[in-house]
Amino acid sequence: MDFSFNADQTALGETIARLLADHPALLAPQPEPAQQSAAWDALAELGLFALLVPEDFGGAGLSLVDVALAVEALGAGLAPPSAVATLTATDLLVRYGSPTQQSELLPRIAGGELKFAIAVLEPDQGYDPEDVACSFAEGSLRGGKILVEAAAAADMLVVLARDSTGPVLLLVDREAPGVSLRGHDDLDLGSGFCAVTFDAVRLEGDAILGTAAPAQAVSRLFDAGATLSAGLLTGIATRMLETSVEYAKTRSQFGQPIGAFQAIKHRCADMAIALEAARSTAYYAFWAISEDASDRTRSASMAKSCCGESARMICNEAIQIHGGMGFTWELGLHRFLRRARVLEYAFGDAAWHNERVVAETLATLSEGGAEPAVAA
Amino acid sequence: MDFNYTPAEEQFRAELRAWLADALPSGWGETVFEPEQEDERAMFRLAWERKLHAGGWAGINWPKDYGGRGATLIERAIFAEELARARAPEGINIIGHNLVGTTLLRHGTEAQKQRFLPKILSSEEVWCQGFSEPNAGSDLASVRTKAELRGAKFIVNGQKIWTSFAQYSDWCFALVRTDPDASKHKGLSFLLIDMKSPGISIRPLRQISGENEFNETFFDDVEVPAENIVGEINGGWTIAMTTLAFERGPEDALARQVRFKQELDRLLVTLSMQKRGAGKAIDDPVLRQQLAKSIIEVEVMRLNATRAFSKYMSGDDRGSDASLIKLYWSHAAQRLYETALDALGPIAPLAGNDPAAAASGRFQLSWLQSKAFSIYSGSSEVQRNIIGERVLGLPR
Repeated sequence: MDFSFNADQTALGETIARLLADHPALLAPQPEPAQQSAAWDALAELGLFALLVPEDFGGAGLSLVDVALAVEALGAGLAPPSAVATLTATDLLVRYGSPTQQSELLPRIAGGELKFAIAVLEPDQGYDPEDVACSFAEGSLRGGKILVEAAAAADMLVVLARDSTGPVLLLVDREAPGVSLRGHDDLDLGSGFCAVTFDAVRLEGDAILGTAAPAQAVSRLFDAGATLSAGLLTGIATRMLETSVEYAKTRSQFGQPIGAFQAIKHRCADMAIALEAARSTAYYAFWAISEDASDRTRSASMAKSCCGESARMICNEAIQIHGGMGFTWELGLHRFLRRARVLEYAFGDAAWHNERVVAETLATLSEGGAEPAVAA
Repeated sequence: MDFNYTPAEEQFRAELRAWLADALPSGWGETVFEPEQEDERAMFRLAWERKLHAGGWAGINWPKDYGGRGATLIERAIFAEELARARAPEGINIIGHNLVGTTLLRHGTEAQKQRFLPKILSSEEVWCQGFSEPNAGSDLASVRTKAELRGAKFIVNGQKIWTSFAQYSDWCFALVRTDPDASKHKGLSFLLIDMKSPGISIRPLRQISGENEFNETFFDDVEVPAENIVGEINGGWTIAMTTLAFERGPEDALARQVRFKQELDRLLVTLSMQKRGAGKAIDDPVLRQQLAKSIIEVEVMRLNATRAFSKYMSGDDRGSDASLIKLYWSHAAQRLYETALDALGPIAPLAGNDPAAAASGRFQLSWLQSKAFSIYSGSSEVQRNIIGERVLGLPR
């Protein structure tokens, strides 16, 4: 058992952080799509999207835990949302894609040619995939999605829909006839959230992602989405704590740095505590999903709930510690506040995940095993 | 990162699990519980600790030379998980194992290690801690208990407070002032004091839980052999800092997590069986949200501890990060017991031996006990200063 990242995993995180530092426009109070596109190109050129692709398809054959610190860096650097959506889609294709899907898509993903967006939520629905209304029947997809992040930038969509068997994931070309987009007006200035309508979109034979085990693919999408969101939230929280501590060391009032006052110092300590809790749950969830451990779902839910709560608290405190400056548009702390809050509602909010944590825990208890689930 | 266990680690777990199943009385944790009466409970825990030792399960990660098992920190973590699973009793020589032993392993002379460590592990000698005084709480370095070196002996005079388990203890380690003229951190020494020495008296202090776990301890011309000093004379502050790093550190947190996990599981089982109107208490969605937080937080305690173990195993020093661990578990555990009472709803006020009380009043007692968590081993305010200044680098 080892709860530390190896040198390669750590170096990858640092490399992504350095790369994104060269794109400071991503953190601008008002980001521009062109800047996001440039950052995507740089990440693709670095080979980020080849990491999860198996070697047979031109990738590095790594698993999600290998990119955990890279995902954290993507969060801290407010990287284009397509990046994590593409990593999520890659993980699903590697696990559940048909041979045709894999041979057609994975090499292009590895080459950085394909951007994905994940379409899960629908109007008037909660998070439960069983409630999905979009329908896939007789080769046609009908229905509407909301809050599809970076949909306009995407080449391919992973769409949660239902067919005669229940919820399934579909691979849909974003430019297929019948697919239309409407940009949302939303809280997060960099998300590129869209409503997507599918008006009898014809899908070719091999459109279902995970034909052999559709429910398992759907379940993994939610766990992977939650885990990667937790990683992004941890990155945001890390940056907001660092920014706050730096400000508390340099901002002077009443003749001393404000960080010397316990009112500020103790806030920062509580932020550090919240961040450590977030890291513990996120890192464990990354491992559990990489191994497909028996407690994968419970770990993903714990991480999503915990990291969301921690990031919320840390972003709120960061603005408070920065005082009036923190409330200005120009300083740009609102970008992290907005991003973190939007991520809280992606792939299940805290209430949804908390309920899953209780249900999973009660199920384990009734099996008589109160020990933590570990992959044997 | 790898949470899989090696065959050797799995073997360790299997052996321990089998041993525990055999060592605990049948029906343990279901129909058979610890004695209710405080002194009886203490003696029960002492007997359990000695049984663990006799079975070879004391000092899991201590060196074999001093009676330990010589196992890794991972096996130490497995040990905690299995004790939680078996709902095993707590020990009473916790201060001996976690504080004195670890401090002596770092700073003791070979003679001190040989003399004290085996008897700590066997719990033949129970220890208490003489740090706090009536006027030295959070400001620990202002202790006034005086130790004067006269020939081959220190003569100790003064008073310690909050000495847990003093009534059961054979030995006490104390922070004492050996140079009244030096600046306050520089005139302190770390002494090992035989509790049977003439001149020591203890007076129990009643806690808000009604228990008398801790005491006032008075030293009146107590003679302590000079060889019972740990480290250099006037070098006691550094030694005390080592002790505190262990007191707040991951081993301690993990041992506590075992208890919190056991009680949380017991709470969940209790609520699953408890009728509330037409359904069961556990069906309440608002309650489930609160319970989820505690489930997550108790898991975070374990993950925080194992993350620290991994850091230590890869060569990182123990340091101020112990404060992160302690500050987290103390408040998370307090929230757990707040939730436990809320969860019991209308019968939350029923405690102790009332036949209608849930789980024999366990949660009410733990709720009261939990109020100490954010005070002892350094109050949360002190921990926040340490984290702010030494972990985050904020100015003093």
